Amino acid sequence: MRAFWIIFCKELRSFFLSPLAYVLMALFTGIAGFLFARTVESMQQKIMPRSLIFNLVGSGFFWMGFLILFPLITMRLFAEERKMGTLEGLFTAPVRTSEVVLGKFFATVVLYCVLILPMFLFFPIFKLVTGQSEAFHNGAFWGAFIGLMLVGTFNISIGVFASSVTQNQLIAAMLTFVGVMMHYMLGFLLYINALPESQWTAGLNYFSTIEHISTLSEGLIDTRPFVYYLSFSAVLLALTHHVLEYRKWKA
Amino acid sequence: MIHVTNLTKRYAGRTAVDSISFDVGRGEIVGFLGPNGAGKSTTLRMLTCYLSATEGKAKVAGHDIFRDSINVRRRVGYMPENVPLYSDMRVQEYLRFRARLKGMKYRESRSATNEAMDICGLADVQRKMIATLSKGYKQRVGLADALVNKPELLILDEPTNGLDPNQIRQVRELIRHLGERHTILISTHILHEVEMTCGRVIIIDHGKIRASDTPQALVRRLRAAGKVSLQVKGNPQLVLEEIEQMAGVKTVRHVDTRQEWALIEIRTVANTEICEALYELAVKKNWVLRELVQHRASLEDAFVDLTLAGKTTPNGKGENE
Ligand SMILES: Nc1ncnc2c1ncn2[C@@H]1O[C@H](COP(=O)(O)OP(=O)(O)OP(=O)(O)O)[C@@H](O)[C@H]1O
Ligand SMILES: [Mg+2]
Repeated sequence: MRAFWIIFCKELRSFFLSPLAYVLMALFTGIAGFLFARTVESMQQKIMPRSLIFNLVGSGFFWMGFLILFPLITMRLFAEERKMGTLEGLFTAPVRTSEVVLGKFFATVVLYCVLILPMFLFFPIFKLVTGQSEAFHNGAFWGAFIGLMLVGTFNISIGVFASSVTQNQLIAAMLTFVGVMMHYMLGFLLYINALPESQWTAGLNYFSTIEHISTLSEGLIDTRPFVYYLSFSAVLLALTHHVLEYRKWKA
Repeated sequence: MIHVTNLTKRYAGRTAVDSISFDVGRGEIVGFLGPNGAGKSTTLRMLTCYLSATEGKAKVAGHDIFRDSINVRRRVGYMPENVPLYSDMRVQEYLRFRARLKGMKYRESRSATNEAMDICGLADVQRKMIATLSKGYKQRVGLADALVNKPELLILDEPTNGLDPNQIRQVRELIRHLGERHTILISTHILHEVEMTCGRVIIIDHGKIRASDTPQALVRRLRAAGKVSLQVKGNPQLVLEEIEQMAGVKTVRHVDTRQEWALIEIRTVANTEICEALYELAVKKNWVLRELVQHRASLEDAFVDLTLAGKTTPNGKGENE
């Protein structure tokens, strides 16, 4: 556990001492702000059945901006160390591979929280300024927050894994983006009409990010997404651990 | 301190280290010598638990490198080849991070970092970014990193690689100084360095150990065989024939002719002195002699002889026995 904290702190430090974190924060907050304004505008024009939060986090534009974060925050984690050779120093120090993987993973999760925090501040500020208490209810707010945390954790673990299999940051980023996108798209298979109603569509429902987020941002907390995202994150982290251990035998 | 038995490493299709066995005792400074691609780095990486061995066993600082790798790594200070460092950190920050990572407490790590920086002459650059340091200073940071947690054993992979002569001398001094307190295994190409700092040399080539002895003994083994060269005016063919018949001569060859001077090289059997006989022969035959040198063998000769054995001369290895 000691090495976990040291690596965790070091990663956070290097995140926040590099310009990337701030650029991403500005970029993401900008995109989210723009979409927020658009959503508010369109809600003014016609009556919508769903809440402000639901309309924002359910939009495709939001997801484009959102999903691009993951390759950018995870690509360097292991790929850079491999390329620079610092992995050798790291793994010849008395640390367990699991401590390294978890340290880097949780540092990235914290960075992610900091990146999406400004967006979640929009909502209380909006309520405060406009006094429109019916724009959304607390359940929707916390539901959406939990949903994005779960999806984020899962996507970060995809990125951690992708970064461990290559020494090229660009390849790691592309693998992550493809992985993250494919997982997101999986949910849309549901909406293809050709698919007949069967246990297949029911199964797909279980994988569908869009469904999870919709449910959660209506304020309905279901335990299935928790199990789904957290267990798959654990599997991906275990795979990362294996990749790093396997390196000893191969090269 | 290090006890290696039949350690083997195979990469896909090639054997980098081929069943080597050796020991390093406490307090020794051992040089690990070999040409490029001999398997030095691979061996050191196995000993520091960065790579797993394909076969064989090794104990480092009393712990098995497979079963107890954390304990091995706790006791070994390792400086990898090419000294990889986090270039976006400052020197002091980096060393503190490494000290903490190696299990030191917060306060302990501060004093240990200062000590290591003092030993390696880094006090002036402690606030500089590692990326902006010169190669020599990066090398020193690597060395400070290796010794920051005061390990019993230091394993250094080419610590003087790429340094200028002054810095090589400084690092060599440093290593000798460190040798008073640590057991050291260093890999290097620089023979001079080994001769000056190491109590013992292990010569490795093609993944096999060719020799393991003190530098002096290796040189003595070679000097016993002896090499003599002479420059003589006259028909080289005739000269060769005459010399071949002398007692104690093993091989003789005509190397070169410069103007009318023929350069002849003679290898003699162990412990024979033929210069006097050569001189007498020259006088008798009326050869004009310009040069007659009994070569002092160096570690370099031993190195070349041991690692090129079987490549240039089929019986090359027999020459120094
Ligand atoms: N990751 C790897 N995959 C495949 N082969 C490798 C790998 N690393 C090293 N080798 C091969 O193993 C052999 C030994 O390499 P090693 O790096 O141990 O040599 P070395 O003695 O350190 O050489 P040098 O003096 O150049 O540093 C070489 O033939 C090299 O090509
Ligand atoms: Mg090497």
